[in-house]
Amino acid sequence: MTEAMNATDAQVKESKTKGHSLDMSAMGRENKHLDINAEIPAFSVNNLKLSYGEKEALHGIDMIIPKKRVTAFIGPSGCGKSTLLRCFNRMNDLVDGCNINGEILLDDQNIYDKGVDVAELRRRVGMVFQKPNPFPKSIYENVAYGLRIQGIKKKRQIDETVEWALRSSALWNEVKDRLHESALGMSGGQQQRLVIARTIAVKPEVLLLDEPASALDPISTLKIEELIHELKNEFTIAIVTHNMQQAARVSDYTAFMYMGDMVEFGDTDQLFTNPEKKQTEDYITGRYG
Amino acid sequence: MQVTLKDWVKSGSPFIWLNAGAVAISIIMVLGLIGFIGAKGLVHFWPGAIVEANYTLPGNSSASIMGQISDSEMVGREQLEAIGLKTPNNSEEAQRLLLKVGNRDVYGGDFRWVLEHHLTDIHYPEKAVAIERREWGNFYGYLDKVFEGKSQVADANQDSDQAWSHFQTLINRALTIHDEIMDIQKSEIGSINHQIERLRLKERGLELDNKLGDVEKAELEKERAELNAEYEKHQKVLSVLYQDLARDHFTAVEMGGKTIEIEISEVVRAFKPNAMGFFEKVAHYFSKLGEFLGDDPREANTEGGVFPAIFGTVLMVILMAIMVTPLGVVAAVYLREYAKQGFITKVIRIAVNNLAGVPSIVYGVFGLGFFVYFLGGTIDELFFPESLPAPTFGTSGLLWASITLALLTLPVVIVATEEGLARIPRMIREGSLALGATKWETLSRVILPMASPAMMTGVILAVARAAGEVAPLMLVGVVKLAPTLPLNGNYPFLHLDQKFMHLGFHIYDVGFQSPNVEAARPLVYATALLLVLVIALLNLSAIYIRNHLREKYKALEM
Repeated sequence: MTEAMNATDAQVKESKTKGHSLDMSAMGRENKHLDINAEIPAFSVNNLKLSYGEKEALHGIDMIIPKKRVTAFIGPSGCGKSTLLRCFNRMNDLVDGCNINGEILLDDQNIYDKGVDVAELRRRVGMVFQKPNPFPKSIYENVAYGLRIQGIKKKRQIDETVEWALRSSALWNEVKDRLHESALGMSGGQQQRLVIARTIAVKPEVLLLDEPASALDPISTLKIEELIHELKNEFTIAIVTHNMQQAARVSDYTAFMYMGDMVEFGDTDQLFTNPEKKQTEDYITGRYG
Repeated sequence: MQVTLKDWVKSGSPFIWLNAGAVAISIIMVLGLIGFIGAKGLVHFWPGAIVEANYTLPGNSSASIMGQISDSEMVGREQLEAIGLKTPNNSEEAQRLLLKVGNRDVYGGDFRWVLEHHLTDIHYPEKAVAIERREWGNFYGYLDKVFEGKSQVADANQDSDQAWSHFQTLINRALTIHDEIMDIQKSEIGSINHQIERLRLKERGLELDNKLGDVEKAELEKERAELNAEYEKHQKVLSVLYQDLARDHFTAVEMGGKTIEIEISEVVRAFKPNAMGFFEKVAHYFSKLGEFLGDDPREANTEGGVFPAIFGTVLMVILMAIMVTPLGVVAAVYLREYAKQGFITKVIRIAVNNLAGVPSIVYGVFGLGFFVYFLGGTIDELFFPESLPAPTFGTSGLLWASITLALLTLPVVIVATEEGLARIPRMIREGSLALGATKWETLSRVILPMASPAMMTGVILAVARAAGEVAPLMLVGVVKLAPTLPLNGNYPFLHLDQKFMHLGFHIYDVGFQSPNVEAARPLVYATALLLVLVIALLNLSAIYIRNHLREKYKALEM
């Protein structure tokens, strides 16, 4: 009980000191106008169609996910943004009756080709889900899980990676004294950062974040956003969010989707300040529906 | 303000009362059941007072009678008048008592019904002794003379205390020797017999393979000679011990006035219940209870203990659990995780659920036909041809009983495990898969540990069901009396082919097949209570493990 309260106090204090650094960084981005054509693609999506049984959910998407940038997907519920995100690490394979056409290239290799090792793909393309889903193991074991799956046995190597991952997800100071306690005793925000730590511990190339902050309180949300900002130096990030302010704050590029179509995709500032399409403008100004 | 019926119904109170009532009835039934069999069974070990009285039926001469009161009931006047007797003061009923008079060797039976109002001069003599014997049941009467060898060493008519203490010393000496003999017979001689039998099988095996040359024959002969020499050595020790054991005897007087000579070696225990204080009685009670729990049965299961039956029950249930858990879990994992969900999995699920409803005797018949005769017979032909025509696994035994019960309880484990697997949040699976784990890695590292409490629930239900089954066991391995425990010091230690005893069958045997119904009745209750306790204990340990696992993987409550 006291531990939890201490943790909350610490969070409040931290958020007070770091509060505007986020705004600053969001405002003062290095190059105001990014050019999508100048980016190196991590993923190239070519005419991707996806259907659940009879119903088509994505009607031919074409886009790239630029390397070492944050790409946000926005759009109303059911527009297919989460479905699209889950295509990048073939999470949709688990859904019965899901059919995919078209291609997604990762290093010029279609990830839907027959010979692709899905487990290896998922190691290269990590994913964080809407609700924190730590395993019922200790904090340490949660982060070490992916490493153990890869067959790494050296304790020192695991120790170092766990510490690095926890530091990178700004969790180290909060949990370093209770690494071997159950992860289920942490707060929701901490759990979500633990899940991020767990994901980056296997050093993926791409991080897919599926509404990572939607189940969290504002302070935890803020922390996750800061984290995204830190992580984009090392990882390519794709994030689905309901929260347009969040998309504006954290992303370099934004894709607006509607009813399974990519309506507009481009530089975030451009899209939010001067959208090309009427539909996009209606949505971001709240006139949608 | 008056509360109307409608308001009362609306408030929900009737429903609460209904629920509480149902719970109360359940609790009362459980406690009542345990209390009833407990009361009936546990009094059996208490040393009841010995009554001595004159019994005079009208028209007969008076006779002295002695025994422990073990039951009483009322009989109607008509019933008595039909045999020419009357009730006291012409009342409607008369009380009659069941006396355990013992001395089966003299009277022909242990028990006798007497009418209470025809008993006169009822008293409880302090010198009356009850002597438990290895044969012929209890003796009731008076101690007379004690002999050590041929010479008389004490006479109870002159100095009863001295005679009694002498008597007890001689009994203890005989008991020690008896234990020693049992020890040698069971362990040393049992082991030699076992080895000789193995030698015989080896010889027969070599003969069947046409490899029995003169060299092998000589070697076997040599080993056999060694064993026989060892056997002779033990036999010599035994004969000395037997002579020692048979040295002393005593005489006692029964109520008919006859003096009976009894070997001291026949006596298990002698006591004077009327002279015992409360604490002595308590001590006696627990010693009898200890004998019941820890000793082998005597006298066609009506005396002694039930230890082999407890041992057999527990061992069989544990073997059953070891077999059913992996099989059920693997089947459930395949059905839920790997099999393509559709018509066939539906049919399999229905079949599994129906399997749980098949009467257990049907499993017994199946076990006998398939496991014992078919599988066991095949195993014997392939692996134990040397002992044929005597079957090894081709006859009912521990292995087949455990497998039959494992089959019987398989549906329970499958259903419980499947439910456990279904309850694990999809998010947890996805979390593991998204880290690059394969389906198998996800299952083995995350899903199965999380589903383990559900598996334990299945095992608990399986244990509860299996420990209580009797019907199928009678066909596939349980016997009334097994000479040795299925787990002992002879290689290979766990004898899966051996027959064993079981508490459930013991109840059946003592209750229905006993030559001495009255003596066996309290044992039926005591054994029933014991069976309930053993099952409860097995279940509680499984529940303890489950709660431990639940604590560890309580993510499901998220």
